[in-house]
Amino acid sequence: MMPSPHTPASFTGYLTTLVPRITAFIVLGMILATAPAYAGSRLLATGAVTAIEGAAGGGLSPWAVLSGTPSDEEVGVTATATRAWVDDYRLSVTGASVNVHDRIEVSVARQTLDLETLGGELEQDIYAAKLRLFGDVLYHPWGIWSIGAQHKRVSDNTIPVALGARHTQGNDVYLSASKLLFSAFAGRNVLLNATLRNTSANQGGLLGFGGDQGGRSWVAEGSVGVFITPQWIVGTEYRQKPDNMSAAREDDWQSLYSAYFFNKHLSLTGAWLDLGTIAGLPSQQGGYLSLQAAF
Amino acid sequence: MHRTFLAFALAGLTLMLAACAQHQSTLYERLGGQTNIDAIVENFLYRVADDTELVGFFANTNIDKLAASLGSMICDVSGGPCHYEGPPMDRAHQHMGVKDRHFNRLVEHLDAALAAEGVALNARNALLGQLAPMYGDVMRYQ
Repeated sequence: MMPSPHTPASFTGYLTTLVPRITAFIVLGMILATAPAYAGSRLLATGAVTAIEGAAGGGLSPWAVLSGTPSDEEVGVTATATRAWVDDYRLSVTGASVNVHDRIEVSVARQTLDLETLGGELEQDIYAAKLRLFGDVLYHPWGIWSIGAQHKRVSDNTIPVALGARHTQGNDVYLSASKLLFSAFAGRNVLLNATLRNTSANQGGLLGFGGDQGGRSWVAEGSVGVFITPQWIVGTEYRQKPDNMSAAREDDWQSLYSAYFFNKHLSLTGAWLDLGTIAGLPSQQGGYLSLQAAF
Repeated sequence: MHRTFLAFALAGLTLMLAACAQHQSTLYERLGGQTNIDAIVENFLYRVADDTELVGFFANTNIDKLAASLGSMICDVSGGPCHYEGPPMDRAHQHMGVKDRHFNRLVEHLDAALAAEGVALNARNALLGQLAPMYGDVMRYQ
């Protein structure tokens, strides 16, 4: 529910809403002040874009690459604003990440889901880290392999509990691999990603964690993209989901995406989403836009 | 309905890319043969010489010899009528202090040189794909 700024408790909520946005604007300001001097040395687009949970990835799923373009002696920062519109819901995400030496990525994201038909709002914060185990998306014959963890907290438990969720906090862990295949499709480079995730999250966590039909499970996620040009990739992504609550059946997510990298500092992603049934409302489809700034 | 859209989008993409791709000729030919490979190498070396991060690595290098060696290597890996006889990549770069950022910049300069000398994207991608696995060798003895 929307925090009111009149009580101490909701003042904290108000602050935590503002902090990621302020951070994003500070970062943007720094980019404008410093660009193009402080781009990392990794090649354009090798940091992917920002997934809705804050990690570097596609839109729906984290990938093995780490955010931005820093290499082994550099540090990078990204800030992202994302909005998705499907038939009965609207999701807003603000997020930021730090990539230290292309070894570890730490990210935060705040998701706000407007229940436009049902009424009300759900909020979730995600604190996450991703560790590169070995490899490189371009140079290593096996690509890049990473593991990640995401700690998720839903701020108001009323709706998740009413639908049958067991918990309002949860942790996801995942193993992810990404590899660019040079000149693999009609002379264009093809990017493959596969992620195996262990999770108890319902609808990514926005509807809580666990339920009467199950607790933790392993799910698979994957994507294929073609770089039409070195700056422009189009592709499709798929994310398998658990189905823990009999009162709110859950479907897998899929997308058709297009991401354009203006330079190492700015990318814009558009996508078409099919999220299936969400909280009893079937066939949720719609659009997605995400702007990422990096330096 | 969206799956139909997806199928159409992918089919359209396939046709568009298939029309662009020229797979009849060898990569060597698509790079423009030895004349254009030599122009690419020269263009590349000018970019390296202008890069203050990189130029120091070549302070004691005979640039004419390096250019000939690079030309012969690109000819060789692209299926041209040459046999690269220079030193292996790991020994050629040992103890030079090459870091990831240097390697990445060399790749960016090479791709820019390929584009500047009129090489089509499919051939740029193919050549970079041939050279990318050399990262492991170049970095072996750093």
